[in-house]
Amino acid sequence: MSAADPIDAAPTVSARIRPVLAGLRPQRAGVVYALILLVAVLVITTAAKGQPPYLSSVNVSNILSQAAPDAILAVFMTIVLISGNFDLSVASVAALAAALALKTIDSIGTAPAVLLALAVGAVAGTINALLVQKIGVNAFIVTLGSMTAVRGVVLIALGGESVTAQSRSLVTLDNTLLRVPPPVALAAGVLLLVLAVLRVRRITDATAPPLDGFFLALVAAAVLTLVVPVAAPAMLTQPLPVWLMLWVTVGVSAALRFLVPGRNLYAVGSNAQAARLSGINVDRYKMAPFVLTGLASAGVGLLYAGRFNSVDPNGLTGTELIVIAAAILGGTSLFGGAGHVGKSVLGTIVLFTLSNGFNVINLGANYQYVVQGVVLVAASAVYTVAARSRRRAGPPADAGRATAPRVPGGEPLSPAVSGS
Amino acid sequence: MVGARQTPVGAAEPPPPDGVLDVEQVGKTYPGGTRALREVSLRLRAGQVHGLIGANGAGKSTLIRIVAGAERPSSGRLRWHGEPVGWRTPADAQAAGVAVVHQQSPVAPALTVLENVYLGARAGGLWRARERQADFQALCASIDFRIDPYATVATLSIGDRQMVSILRALAQRPRLILLDEPTASITPAERAGVLGAARRLAATGVAVLFVSHFLNEVSEICDVISVLRDGALVDAFDAPDMTHERMVAGIVGDRLRDVEAAKPVHSAGAAVLEARGLRSARMAEPVDLTVRRGEIVGLAGLLGSGRTSLLNAIFGVDRRIAGDVLVDGRRVPCSPAAAVKAGVALVPEDRLAQGLVADWPIWRNISMADLPGLSRRFWLLNPARERALAQRACRELGVVAPSIDTPVKDLSGGNAQKVVFAKWIYKTQHLLLLDEPTAGVDVGGKADLIKLIRALAARGLGVLVVLSEFEELLSVADRVVVMNRGAITGDLAAGQTTVAGLTAAAGGLT
Repeated sequence: MSAADPIDAAPTVSARIRPVLAGLRPQRAGVVYALILLVAVLVITTAAKGQPPYLSSVNVSNILSQAAPDAILAVFMTIVLISGNFDLSVASVAALAAALALKTIDSIGTAPAVLLALAVGAVAGTINALLVQKIGVNAFIVTLGSMTAVRGVVLIALGGESVTAQSRSLVTLDNTLLRVPPPVALAAGVLLLVLAVLRVRRITDATAPPLDGFFLALVAAAVLTLVVPVAAPAMLTQPLPVWLMLWVTVGVSAALRFLVPGRNLYAVGSNAQAARLSGINVDRYKMAPFVLTGLASAGVGLLYAGRFNSVDPNGLTGTELIVIAAAILGGTSLFGGAGHVGKSVLGTIVLFTLSNGFNVINLGANYQYVVQGVVLVAASAVYTVAARSRRRAGPPADAGRATAPRVPGGEPLSPAVSGS
Repeated sequence: MVGARQTPVGAAEPPPPDGVLDVEQVGKTYPGGTRALREVSLRLRAGQVHGLIGANGAGKSTLIRIVAGAERPSSGRLRWHGEPVGWRTPADAQAAGVAVVHQQSPVAPALTVLENVYLGARAGGLWRARERQADFQALCASIDFRIDPYATVATLSIGDRQMVSILRALAQRPRLILLDEPTASITPAERAGVLGAARRLAATGVAVLFVSHFLNEVSEICDVISVLRDGALVDAFDAPDMTHERMVAGIVGDRLRDVEAAKPVHSAGAAVLEARGLRSARMAEPVDLTVRRGEIVGLAGLLGSGRTSLLNAIFGVDRRIAGDVLVDGRRVPCSPAAAVKAGVALVPEDRLAQGLVADWPIWRNISMADLPGLSRRFWLLNPARERALAQRACRELGVVAPSIDTPVKDLSGGNAQKVVFAKWIYKTQHLLLLDEPTAGVDVGGKADLIKLIRALAARGLGVLVVLSEFEELLSVADRVVVMNRGAITGDLAAGQTTVAGLTAAAGGLT
């Protein structure tokens, strides 16, 4: 009887391909299509206007280094959103870290100033976490409050004026150019390709999970890593923040996918009650993202401080909204349990490409907010409509069952009570 | 007996019995291939209460949704007063004269009774207080019900809210009214009011479709009864031919019988759970309870008697105020994580809200409770092992699904519940806490689950199970502990008690 049971049958290739193709649908890969479309429009427009090529290494590096700090924030914002929470305080915390670091760096030295900034970020995140999870105040309200209050602390600390430091170490942090030798990049590309091929070879292996969007991302990453060293070797030289963005994105998305805490984070965000009853420490998974985000915000604040070696009291205002918009563009659910950090980073890059494009083709910068807003709402509409039409396709919960239940007849029922 | 019993079909009644709605050969197949209804035909007549019974998943809800215009049939058709109709939305059906009262009708709690009854009623945009008031009194009189029209709904009992829903349906002046489990969540005293209202409605010439799990109610007020099983109409009969045996046989088929018959006798071992003076924030009284290895202890009680609170207190879901929980002789701190670590599992009442992540595939749900144990070193997930476990669990528990990659929200109640069990049975060593494990599960699935619970106990687990259906409770449990208003009031050997005895004990009649 086992052979006839679909549960036991070896999966067919087509059944295994379907999830990969599903990963290509607009509601899953929408942010990728948006980026491709946007870049195509800009490339054609600049070419038609006789301007220098849009996709030059210089311009792309420019966009990447502008987007990098916000993209790092978007990664952590995505973690908070997956856990089912919300954090509006990231920009204020980053500004506070920047202000403190610049104010103290000349007197106490670089390392203590950096540690102080990071510690303040972690404390801010911990306060958010405690208020949300232990007291039970809504995360939106808590972080709206901490966003405002922390901004107030920045204003008090700076006395309403910008601050500048003599020390150049933060500037170095932001400006250091790192170059990956082309052979190293090629080797990394080959490695990614090998991983992808190994994964495809197990396509009909029932013990391997079906291929999905992550596989597509792997292939895309392999292709990019192989193409860039050949086509645009200049792109292999990037400032530290861009590499940081890349490492954080790769590291966090791998952790979310391959480690137990990653899986548990999605479980807690999807259904906290079920996670708790499964023995998962829900408090920990609801609180840790706030603390991590506070820490990361402080880190981004240091990058920001290094960019200009000065910070003014209203610096970074509005960044939290860009970051949340980026996560939403990347398809992250505001209700928790769903989201991919890589797509949030792409969302950030879309937003920065938009503003960069407006500058390049000399459309007034005033229009860019209108377009950003429209893009954001349009993206959400696509995701929402797609999710709804998928829900409709399934049978309702109380649908009568057509198949008779299969009693495990003569088979011994052998749940090992002594553990598996 | 509630209300004046109408003479059955065909006899002379004030309004001549004509078909208000004919359901003709209606079938419904969902895109997933699930056949919820197979060629069902019924005739709903004016002045009759038509009972519709069947197990969960038999297709009752699907049929109601089709009649109410919320879904379209895949085959067959509806005739309204003899004319074929193709309602596309609930508004179409409502305009034709169909009103629906759901189990828990969405009433606006902040508004008054009167405002709720005429919520959404179209009257040129004006709220004509005087007319409304007069109309309301007429509606109330028609079902012999009295209520203050200016009371805020939030202050009413659940039974009165149900009556408000019925009044609201009546305010639409329907020709057909669908009562979907209208008495499921209300007290026996309030039931009489709802049932009487259904009878009186029929007496005014409205056709009533009455869906209920409570067979005594159905036999009390219905003129005609149709029985659905697995989406097909398996029996239909008039009131005079109605017997409980016939109803049960129609609903159940012959699946539960072998389970009922074969009840193994096994000896219980050492105490695996000892609750001493246990009291959580949600419990009224401290409770002492012992469950032995290999023993199935049933918790009997009425709704609100504290059964779920006791399970939650043992598992550490609710904060513990007093007392200790000992599992296998060791004290367990108060948290679900600690309980899981100590070898305890809880299968919660609401499996989609509390037991499963609905969007996740079967395999991820099964591994959720033991992820560290199924993983490699350094927290590295091992999907191959997780999937092998899911594969094995689905095979051994007989989960019917296209594959272990199917999201659990697409499974039927019984299969979803088996997935919840699968989460626990391979890892739990000592104690299984089951809260209404068969709720929303069809009859065949119930038989599977009862067999499974017995098999698990036979392997040395202690089982503490809450079941509201006393027949089921007696068929599965070795010992029954009775709870009343938060306290344990009885401890009976299952073999020496009956449903009647349990009902009396749970009701505080001992």
